[in-house]
Amino acid sequence: MPQLTATPASALADEPVHIRVTGLPPFQVVTLKASLKDDKGDLFQSKAFYRANEAGEVDLEQAPALGGDYVGVHPMGLFWSLKPEKAFWRLLKHDVLNTPFWVTLDVYDSICSQYSAIIQPSASQVVQRWFSGPGVQRKQIREGRVRGALFLPPGEGPFLGVIDLFGAIGGLVEFRASLLAARGFAVLALAYFDYEDLPEELLEVDLEYFEEAANLLLAHPKIQRPGIGVISMCKGAEIALAMACYLKQAVAIVCINGFTAVMGVPLRYKDLVVTPIRPEMERVQVHASGALSYCHCYGDPRDKLNGQSVLPVEKAQSRLLFIVGEDDEFIRSKLYAEQAMDRLRSHGRSHGRVLVYPSAGHLIDPPYAPLCFASRVRGLPRPFLWGGDPAAHAAAQEHAWGEIQKFFRQHLIQNRSKL
Amino acid sequence: MVQLTATPVIALVDEPVHIRATGLTPFQIVTLHASLKDEKGNMFYSRAYYRANEVGEVDLERDSSLGGDYTGVHPMGLIWSLKPEKLLTRLLKTDVMNSPFQVQVKLHELDFLLNNKPISAPKASLTLERWYVAPGVTRIRVREGRLRGALFLPPGEGRFPGVIDLFGGIGGLLEFRAGLLASRGFVSLALAYCDYDDLPPQPEITDLEYFEEAANFLLRHPKVHGPGIGVVSTCKGAEIGLSMGIHLKQITATVLINGTPFVFEVPQVYRGQIYPPVPPSIQLVAINTLGLTEFYRMFEETQIIASQSFLPIEKAHGHFLFIVGEADKNVNSKRHAELATDRLRRNGKSNWTLLSYPGAGHLIEPPYSPLCPASGLRALSSSVHWGGEVIPHAAAQEHSWKEIQKFLRKHLISTVTSQL
Repeated sequence: MPQLTATPASALADEPVHIRVTGLPPFQVVTLKASLKDDKGDLFQSKAFYRANEAGEVDLEQAPALGGDYVGVHPMGLFWSLKPEKAFWRLLKHDVLNTPFWVTLDVYDSICSQYSAIIQPSASQVVQRWFSGPGVQRKQIREGRVRGALFLPPGEGPFLGVIDLFGAIGGLVEFRASLLAARGFAVLALAYFDYEDLPEELLEVDLEYFEEAANLLLAHPKIQRPGIGVISMCKGAEIALAMACYLKQAVAIVCINGFTAVMGVPLRYKDLVVTPIRPEMERVQVHASGALSYCHCYGDPRDKLNGQSVLPVEKAQSRLLFIVGEDDEFIRSKLYAEQAMDRLRSHGRSHGRVLVYPSAGHLIDPPYAPLCFASRVRGLPRPFLWGGDPAAHAAAQEHAWGEIQKFFRQHLIQNRSKL
Repeated sequence: MVQLTATPVIALVDEPVHIRATGLTPFQIVTLHASLKDEKGNMFYSRAYYRANEVGEVDLERDSSLGGDYTGVHPMGLIWSLKPEKLLTRLLKTDVMNSPFQVQVKLHELDFLLNNKPISAPKASLTLERWYVAPGVTRIRVREGRLRGALFLPPGEGRFPGVIDLFGGIGGLLEFRAGLLASRGFVSLALAYCDYDDLPPQPEITDLEYFEEAANFLLRHPKVHGPGIGVVSTCKGAEIGLSMGIHLKQITATVLINGTPFVFEVPQVYRGQIYPPVPPSIQLVAINTLGLTEFYRMFEETQIIASQSFLPIEKAHGHFLFIVGEADKNVNSKRHAELATDRLRRNGKSNWTLLSYPGAGHLIEPPYSPLCPASGLRALSSSVHWGGEVIPHAAAQEHSWKEIQKFLRKHLISTVTSQL
């Protein structure tokens, strides 16, 4: 009788699951399938074909998938290769506190090439994937101009404080902040446009808003002073880098696949106005699938004509960690990160570090998040191309997550000592 | 005054069009937008952004597209980069005789077209007619004996080389390539073999005698110049085409596009000789990043080589032209062609040419056909990935079409002159 075990059955979404099947006919080719429904009820599925060994077992930590959504030894492949039934749909957890993703794992003792409701699996187990841990608290933030959600770990603290900034998607994305809180950080998921009473469109970046948010976080009794970290992505990474250059509160900045120059809209901080690079939308490229690749629209930070828009990273007092997906189709992240690193070096500064992940795309999320190769953004009909090769992207997410936490722990705790 | 010109406005689909715009502001960036409605009402769109020169002109034969559906200098880019509004719809002409495809080309100011439709009115526009048959080509429905298909005759007196046109697993009858071949001087028989008229929807065997009947039918036609005829075949059709080249002496030139040198799915039978199909290893079927099914890993070489399924290509007397799309995700085209040519070499044969196109996918069609990267076949619930990258695929179609015609003329017409 086939049996499927997945351990742990309930865990944080960034923890691996060990999947094993026993009781199969020796050397039988079987189908392993995963499925989940997101908060809106949209279905995501994945499958892989494995051959049982002589004892009739399949252990995903050792056995290679022969075909399906991935090939080779990938213990978490069923998770990161989940695909939406609805084309160009991204998997995002909105309710991060109260419910997990329930992932149903099925094994069929034959090759099932079609998804069918008729055939019953030989064995099944549901695992829970949580985006926050026991005791994590969420507090809606509406103080002064600041809008977002603060996630606090259980206990008295003091905790390392982090601001979490997403990009062009707008609104408030909470799942990364809540996961980091489950890992012991106090995290402010900060919205900056298209949320509550914030402007619907981002027409300028007002750094004073972000300074207000940083001060709010630092004023919290459970948060360690005197400096906070920022984890940021895409447009958010440009803002985080600007915080590093012009503000004092942020002392450890993680920039994932972002701009290192002011892009599209001006940056303002008190009297200072930094004019942006104007995106050349005529350089958009349409992928065979119809999705749009924007990465050639955003100019070259090394172009002298863009000089006044490039962020003066040599002025930053904080530690910088650039995370780059080499196959990013939305931003030429590697180009930007390398330009920033060169600028640091040419000024004799050594507080920057870059991690380049070959074949990873734009949306470098916490581990085991399915690769989203292209998706629709903010109701626009043509999907945006993000890029990435599934297995390499999954490996990048796994590695980067560990590095990000190490980086914060190392530099936020030590931030009392001068660089 | 802004003017948009295209020459020729009315043409065969395999003919290039020269598109120019004049009367623009110097160095102005403009949008060229093309749209087409197929016979089912599906819309296809493409766009490219160009910068006018110092006298306010854009010439697609000279100028580089800055972005959009293609970049670089591609005079026909607007046509072959057309993309369906409804995902994964393939552009296919069913009525090839009575109507063309109409392509509307419009020039707009710089327009970022995040939707498919431009925001402002066009500054200039024109409509191209793209025909699959030349004036004077005639079409005759074929229902002779078991044969089902359509015969296309070139215009004019005299006799012409004959060609049988075979498509693949899609079934039914695709006539567009036969219509074009007739327009280029070949008597072309678009031959159906499954899921058409009273032919079985899914035959249990491939009976080569049916194709022999077709070859004899073609040779008997008063407008066909023998003694040899050709075959142009794709995918499953190419498996059959290869067998025809082996077993039928009448076949002196065979074009094999992304096919297999072995039998798959159902057995092939010819006068009692049975070639069994290679069993598929379904566990090797892959799903790509976008959720499309890729079958190209499904046949293992260990099952092909030294099996009865591997067709004895060395026994063929005629010539072969292999057309390979290296980015074919449906069939492992490159490797399969290598198996065939290795076998020919081992047997001391040199009666073949191989054209291998990097970046080209499975559906290598006549020039300027838009790349269809994936579509849904009737028998599969999820969509099949054909593969291919837009720009190299277009180049492959342009090059291979010329080579196919050269090859057919060389091996069909020279046999004619050698008779004199």
